[in-house]
Amino acid sequence: MNDSFAASSDSKTAILKQIQQEVAINNARQLIDKMNNHCFQKCVPTPGSSLSRREEGCLTQCMEKYTATWNTVSRQYIARIQKSSSMGGIGNDDGAGI
Amino acid sequence: MDAFNSSQPQVDLSKLSEYDKRELQQNLQNEMQKAKIQESIHNLTDICWTKCITKGISSGKLDRNEESCTQNCVDRFLDANEAVLKHLNALRGGNVM
Repeated sequence: MNDSFAASSDSKTAILKQIQQEVAINNARQLIDKMNNHCFQKCVPTPGSSLSRREEGCLTQCMEKYTATWNTVSRQYIARIQKSSSMGGIGNDDGAGI
Repeated sequence: MDAFNSSQPQVDLSKLSEYDKRELQQNLQNEMQKAKIQESIHNLTDICWTKCITKGISSGKLDRNEESCTQNCVDRFLDANEAVLKHLNALRGGNVM
């Protein structure tokens, strides 16, 4: 009785942990993908036979900048959805859109 | 991601009690909500980067213009989204089929 209770709550924790990990990995992957696309576009306009030091430096700054943009967007977006949900939402509680 | 999957313990769903099942379902819904929000943020960052970061990269920080452009970009995108939905609704309302 006690055993199966423990097994149940263990399984639950394991499943939840796995899902959380997958959500986190997916989030990181998306960030890296988009960052790579945008920064390649910005920093390597004409690909040469290797990355120049200048291009590498640009990529580093670009990554910082993309992350900063992500953070700004995140803050702004979350403030906005919090505001609209505290106003009772505009028929939008299923996160319709985007 | 093979290493990741194989390191996971096998989980037997049939061992879950009703209470745990319900709690898990709630947790999963929260995770999905979180994933959806993250997805929207990635999408918005993509769009607003293209709109607002128009010069070459000369610093790792956002300058003041880029910062406020990005903030406006998020708000106006969401406004536009609402306007589109509103208009679609109006079209649907006017078009009694």
